[in-house]
Amino acid sequence: MASIVAYIELREGAITRPSRFVVAEARRIADAAGATVFALLTVGPLAQVEMDKLASEISAAGADRILCSSADTLDGPALDVTHGALLAQVADHLRPLLFLFPAGGSGAQLGPPLAVRMGAAYMSNASMDVYAEDRTPEPASQRVILSRWRAARDGRRKIDVGDLERPVVASLLSGCFPPPAGDPYAEVEMVPCPDTKYPDARVIGSEVDNAAGLELCQSMILSGRSSVAASDAFQAGLPDGVCLATADEADLQAIQGSAPHNVFVLPSAQSKLDAGRPWFVPGTAILRVEGVAGSEDADADLAEFTAALGRARSQGDAS
Amino acid sequence: MIVLLCLESPSPSPASRAALCLASTLGDKAEVVVLSAGGATGSASFELARQSAAVRRIVHLQDTGLREPDFFTLGMVLAEAARHLEARVVVAGQHTDIEGQGLVPAALAHHLRAPLFARVQSATLPPSGQGVLKITVRAGGKLCTVASPLPVVLSTSEGELGSMPPREAGQSAPTVETLSLAQLGMAASLLVPRPGLLGILAPAQGHGIESKSFDESARILLRGR
Repeated sequence: MASIVAYIELREGAITRPSRFVVAEARRIADAAGATVFALLTVGPLAQVEMDKLASEISAAGADRILCSSADTLDGPALDVTHGALLAQVADHLRPLLFLFPAGGSGAQLGPPLAVRMGAAYMSNASMDVYAEDRTPEPASQRVILSRWRAARDGRRKIDVGDLERPVVASLLSGCFPPPAGDPYAEVEMVPCPDTKYPDARVIGSEVDNAAGLELCQSMILSGRSSVAASDAFQAGLPDGVCLATADEADLQAIQGSAPHNVFVLPSAQSKLDAGRPWFVPGTAILRVEGVAGSEDADADLAEFTAALGRARSQGDAS
Repeated sequence: MIVLLCLESPSPSPASRAALCLASTLGDKAEVVVLSAGGATGSASFELARQSAAVRRIVHLQDTGLREPDFFTLGMVLAEAARHLEARVVVAGQHTDIEGQGLVPAALAHHLRAPLFARVQSATLPPSGQGVLKITVRAGGKLCTVASPLPVVLSTSEGELGSMPPREAGQSAPTVETLSLAQLGMAASLLVPRPGLLGILAPAQGHGIESKSFDESARILLRGR
């Protein structure tokens, strides 16, 4: 049976939301097209109880089997020099049809070198769709299509996984994932970590990346530049997986690198939104929030959205 | 120390412009050599390279076999050129369609047998020209400082870096040197294109922007649609 590998990214020891989405997407494709979902977890030295907890979460997200590799070299950020040999070993062993990375940057670091080693196609910030191809009188065939924007955003590139005759390595958007539905006790197989080819390459320090949340967010609220107080107050009331971004140059790179499921463009940011140039990922829904046309008062936008969230929450509680 | 900047032709992508900016920050010890492959020599890419004060040489790989190479092949050719030019640091843009979103730097690193770092924010050359390169990369939710042996391949994304110092008045721009596959000891028959890895091109239809009120937007956000 064909296999799909979903790479799991941890931040501060916890599985990221995009990683859960990747496992859920792999499950969806596997159920439609018939495949086994392998989740690949790479960790530093970890107590068994912690590993069991992570494995249980991954399993419940939809993985059939969990491959876990634990080594000192895997303790840091996912870089090709530390993680690449392990991924290549797993790919060589399983020969997966799809090797999926979650939104968050691990795909950009690990995806292209893995694709080169596998002789695979590579798509970053991709969406996946499954459709049934009518082959009457034969049973319908399930087609798996990956798509992404071209760099110029003037069209899409699409790959039909069944037609390509090569595996595909892809990083996905940060989408919604269903409630845990899988077996929380999937089989866990420990995988030895091969020696790195570049032992002299090492992480010697790190600092906080203020844009790290944007990489992972499932929903992005795009506003003009607001005051710090208004921004802090607004963000304190946001649900998990939602982030506030400022549509100015300071956040531009992080915004371009993000892959949210939906984006809410507040009135104060709408002058920056180029309606003719697609943003983000083909699956991203972009919602223009109606307000005073031409308004640049970002603080007022955030206050209005906070009030609307309060109303929506109270209506939800009432119902 | 030779720092090789791979610049696609005919026009540089924003990611390649960022790569040029990175190469320009490496200081006087860096002898920045711009390398392009295929196409004509009078393109916007060469003009950009001539404008940069940091660029000492411009080398163009010219061969009929380089008209439409795939990523893997192009990476192999660039790796041979990097060896030929004795490059210790190779910098390339990551995210254009032509480059396959980072496959060219990855294939280059693979064939050069050098470590690869993506999403590079800054780099500092070793003081003596030997030793390790210090690189800041965006990875794992952090800005990580990494020490890497040489040679090394660095790739940059669109909009990651600052401005490029322009060439001053009176400072002569380098002329374009040409290099052939034969000079690299490569046969054009090796360059077998592998079409299809980019996928088929489809129109950008269906990316409509919906308008919603604040209340509708808040409900959608809480529903997690």
